Amino acid sequence: MSARPISILIAALGGEGGGVLTDWIIAAAASCDLPVQSTSIPGVAQRTGATTYYIEVYPTPWRELHGKRPVLALAPGIGDVDMVVASEFLEAGRAVAGGFVTPDRTLLIASTHRSHAIAEKMAMADGRFDTGRLMGAVEKNARSHLLLDMDAVARSARAMINSVMLGAVAASGRLPIPAAAFEAAIRAGKSSEANLRGFRAGLEAAERVARSSPPPGWEGSGVGVGRSGASVAHPLDPPTRPFPTRGEEVEKATPQAAAPKAENDRLRDAGGTPALPGNLANEPARFGDAADIVAEGVRRLVAYQDAAYARLYLDRLARIAEADRRAGARGRLTREVARHLALRMSYEDVIRVAEAKIAPARMAGIAAQMSANPDEPVTIVEFLKPGIAEMCSILPPFIARPIIATAERRGWIDKLHWGMEIKTTSVSGYLRLLALARLRRFRPQSFRYQEEQRAIEAWLALIIAAADKSGALALEIAECARLIKGYGDTLKRGAANYAAIERDVIRPTLAGRIPLSRGVDAVASARVAALADPEGEALAKCLAEIAASPLPGAER
Amino acid sequence: MERSFKTEVDALRLGDGEVFRGEGILAVTKALLQSGVSYVGGYQGAPVSHLLDVLVDAEDMMAELGVHLETCTNEASAAAMLGASINYPLRGAVTWKSIVGTNVAADALSNLASPGVIGGVMIILGEDYGEGASVIQERSYAYAMKSSMWLLDPRPGLPTIVRCVEQGFELSEASHAPVMLELRIRACHVTGEFIARDNRPGRYSTLNRLPGPPRFDYARLSHPPVTFIHERLKVEDRMPAAQAFIRQHKLNEIIAGDLDDIGIVVMGGLTNAVLRALERLGLADIFGGSRVPVLVLNVVYPLVPEELTSFCAGKRAVLVVEEGHPEYIEHALNVELRRADLQARVLGKGPLPKAGEYTAEVLLNGLAAFLAEIRPAGLDPEAMAARVREIVGHRSVAAAALGELPARPPAFCTGCPERPVFSAIKLVQREIGPTHISADIGCHSFGTLPPFSLGNSILGYGMSLASAAAVGPNMDRRSIAVMGDGGFWHNGLITGVASTLFNQGDGVLIVMQNGYTSATGQQYMPSSAPSLPSSASGGGTGGGLAPRMDLETTLRAMGVKWLRKVRTYSVAKMMATLRQAMLAGERGLKVIIADGECQLARQRRLRAEEAEQLKRGKRVVRIRYGVDEDICTGDHSCIRLSGCPSLTVKPNPDPLRTDPVTTVIDSCVGCGLCGEVAHAAVLCPSFYRAELIRNPNWRDRAIAALRSRVIALLGGYAPNRTA
Repeated sequence: MSARPISILIAALGGEGGGVLTDWIIAAAASCDLPVQSTSIPGVAQRTGATTYYIEVYPTPWRELHGKRPVLALAPGIGDVDMVVASEFLEAGRAVAGGFVTPDRTLLIASTHRSHAIAEKMAMADGRFDTGRLMGAVEKNARSHLLLDMDAVARSARAMINSVMLGAVAASGRLPIPAAAFEAAIRAGKSSEANLRGFRAGLEAAERVARSSPPPGWEGSGVGVGRSGASVAHPLDPPTRPFPTRGEEVEKATPQAAAPKAENDRLRDAGGTPALPGNLANEPARFGDAADIVAEGVRRLVAYQDAAYARLYLDRLARIAEADRRAGARGRLTREVARHLALRMSYEDVIRVAEAKIAPARMAGIAAQMSANPDEPVTIVEFLKPGIAEMCSILPPFIARPIIATAERRGWIDKLHWGMEIKTTSVSGYLRLLALARLRRFRPQSFRYQEEQRAIEAWLALIIAAADKSGALALEIAECARLIKGYGDTLKRGAANYAAIERDVIRPTLAGRIPLSRGVDAVASARVAALADPEGEALAKCLAEIAASPLPGAER
Repeated sequence: MERSFKTEVDALRLGDGEVFRGEGILAVTKALLQSGVSYVGGYQGAPVSHLLDVLVDAEDMMAELGVHLETCTNEASAAAMLGASINYPLRGAVTWKSIVGTNVAADALSNLASPGVIGGVMIILGEDYGEGASVIQERSYAYAMKSSMWLLDPRPGLPTIVRCVEQGFELSEASHAPVMLELRIRACHVTGEFIARDNRPGRYSTLNRLPGPPRFDYARLSHPPVTFIHERLKVEDRMPAAQAFIRQHKLNEIIAGDLDDIGIVVMGGLTNAVLRALERLGLADIFGGSRVPVLVLNVVYPLVPEELTSFCAGKRAVLVVEEGHPEYIEHALNVELRRADLQARVLGKGPLPKAGEYTAEVLLNGLAAFLAEIRPAGLDPEAMAARVREIVGHRSVAAAALGELPARPPAFCTGCPERPVFSAIKLVQREIGPTHISADIGCHSFGTLPPFSLGNSILGYGMSLASAAAVGPNMDRRSIAVMGDGGFWHNGLITGVASTLFNQGDGVLIVMQNGYTSATGQQYMPSSAPSLPSSASGGGTGGGLAPRMDLETTLRAMGVKWLRKVRTYSVAKMMATLRQAMLAGERGLKVIIADGECQLARQRRLRAEEAEQLKRGKRVVRIRYGVDEDICTGDHSCIRLSGCPSLTVKPNPDPLRTDPVTTVIDSCVGCGLCGEVAHAAVLCPSFYRAELIRNPNWRDRAIAALRSRVIALLGGYAPNRTA
């Protein structure tokens, strides 16, 4: 029986050079006198969309075929693909879902990095597809696989990803084509120096992966991070959130990533790690499992305001820990509230933004990101557009209240904004931001501060009241703090959504008008609905359904 | 143009006995030159854009051969150009994307096919059907039937494709009818090789010109009463002549097989896929030998009754593998078998689906169903069907385990000038409520996809304004029509603007002026930048500069009173202009020219320029945008108003937060949309613009040093690290 063609399906994104990769394989096969054919469906998909290329290589050289021509197919068939090469991990998943990766024959070569699709990016919270699920599908369906972060390899080799992919193909040894033939194909084309670099880096990295198991650099690949695919994690899920893995996104780590919210030199030890003030240092340990989060919360609030404010945080949390014990929530409630409370207490206001904008680490980070040499000036311009609400938030309440009332009455509140482009690197820009940052010590007297504290206390009171009935309900209420974030319209929308859920679900549940078990689910589903669309259609529908569902004993 | 074809141009020069290696569509181009064409033309569109692009790049060689090249403004003008072959022995070829291009060309094609041709005429159709297609899924076949033009659908191997082009001209001349050659998407891009022949000049050409017009001959006009004669000529003379030529030159192929009580009739273009499916069922070998006899129709219209009946004689059943709807070949085969009183059963649609591409999976299923129905002697159809179920069943299991994957449709490129226009429309709609939006063909049709999802109808290239004509008068609010400059010159100028003005219509038209037909690979069109030599715009013979037709001047000359030109990236200004247009009291057409060069083309030029400047130590400013990750709270409003590939998400570095933060990746070209949107939509203060000066001059250094020193004195950072 004569040999069958070796079939290769390349899955890539438009603009990644999949066509060039295909041409290299064609040229290398032709140089080995092998019959070869490729097809593609470029069209408009080349504009950043998902696209595929298909290649068949006949393993017997022309000279041994004596004039016979193999008939090569133009499209892949399920169960008829020997090698899938994917430039990105979701695209590897797409090839699996298409049925082209089969346990009897397919070698899957894929980059494990993610380039997120628009539906994943535009979600109001976390819309990223579960990488663990992709990994499971790859492992289940491929005969063998060669997985590595080719994007990282490409960046460190200063090459395009297609050359790295070719290196991995060469390393797999699945094609009867020597590496030298691929190199020759690259040399005959454009940018051959960078492409050769990428090819060799890909070849070496793939060989390393193939030799060792688990492969080195695995942790950096973003694989197995196991983020939930749902846009909203359930609070009863294991509370430990894996710290994000570097390199999951096409993005360089910035030096300030782990830095505190604002400079607070007084609180830094010699190594630059922010330490807790002496009298607070032992406090977090009192919160058991939540200690790491509480420590982070204290650190943040000291930097945000001062040690007294951090003390307020601890006092508030102590009440929650007590409720946690009463409800038998085994520390989960404390942990979730510790996280949300720290975020709520360090709410985003112009003072915090100004501090963040003039943090020295930020400047260095941006310069590094642009690979600026020390003698090359970097200018940074900020886009700020505060409105009446932002201006009033830092004024004392007795001034702010009448202004806001007037503005709301006249309809100015959504219309009047001052668009500013501030050049942070200029003296005047720096001074303007510095002046705002210096308002920090007046913050406790500000209108927004007082409003926020009132809202926080109200939220905590609901949690504590709920904890007396059910730990699960308290957790759900705590998690609703997730809705309140951001600036301007986002903040307004989130706060309004929270208020609607409080009014229509939380309070009725606490008052017994909604049965407890249903109330827990209702809060959770309303929260998910609130994050489904910015227009609030899903939330309105969800609340209407909750209101419409007949209550036991409602006829009384 | 997006791609340079210098290497391919060299391949077009290959002579007798040399091996041509390359893409299907370029093999067609070479075959045209080997056929002695006197003129070529067409309108770009996937999957045949490369045919024209390579000819534009090959202008010198075309001049040597005396071939006139015309990059037409639409398919109608390309089809009309074929009129040269009605009276003269000039071979000519044009190309376009079908079905849409054939629709636009239809009037000229009818008038061409009626009198018929003296010189061979070949129309290369990029049959944009199946995976990767961007147009309505219809068959070009109907055009062949109604106008009596012949339709070739060659086996997708380069030698067959080339042979079909060369013999297609002979077929055209032998039967005096235009010939169409359809290539599906994958066939256009299939790579392979064939033995080349020398190019040859046409009998008459720009080098050897015609002496003058022929004697007046009314029969060459498509005008009554000769049209009645033409109709008869088509069926009585031309069709039989074509059928005789097809038989005589064996344009169709028969693969003999031992299972001779059954057979397969297949459109040439699907041959490889059918043979592979047979091979996987153990009924064919990898070299094209088959146990089931196969009739390969490289000519799908006209069919040759004698070929059909002799193939089917003595068979119990045949399977017609005919992609798309309606099943014209299957119908015709049934009629021919009835006429010949042959009893072979004809199966086609049934075992095979009525609609959709015939993929490997579809063909496996179809063959298994056919065999199960007919049960040929010596085969075990149950075992084959079980095998096919197992193969095909894998997909649903694998897909179900993964769940629904996020789609990744094409989108506006990083820095695309058209994206900000949709940001502006989305923001204005928040103020004034939803508006009816007529979308159009072109990159801007990506505005119909997330995150914008703007557009209520797409009616054809350049048709957006015309398709809103009856919406506006029946709705309270003005409608918005979006059109590209490509669509404007292709069609929109007449069908849209002239018609609206003539009818004193009301409405808003946004014309995206990006300077190219960008979606098809950045070809030039009438309003492309003025510095282009005429060769680039396809003028060919004149030399010098092609006149640039300016959109604004054209619109004003036509009588548009309300006309604004806005730089697309200025979102606030675009919003204000749109608001003004939507709410203006006076009736009438309001045109906004959204001005911004195609970023792909711009970057290709800029990158080369910058690299050159850097090499020579000249000052270069690099701009990119960024997001402060500790200010971003992960709401992604900015992404919902942009969708830029460079604006994406990454894990939140804040251990207290779970929602991913927005980030700007290295591919950012600094178009400025992020900042504009952050301002216009009052988003958040996370965005910043960073400007890096490479090779700074003394002034740059002095200012930077001064600034960082003063800021240091004030107790701040030394941001520029120059101190």
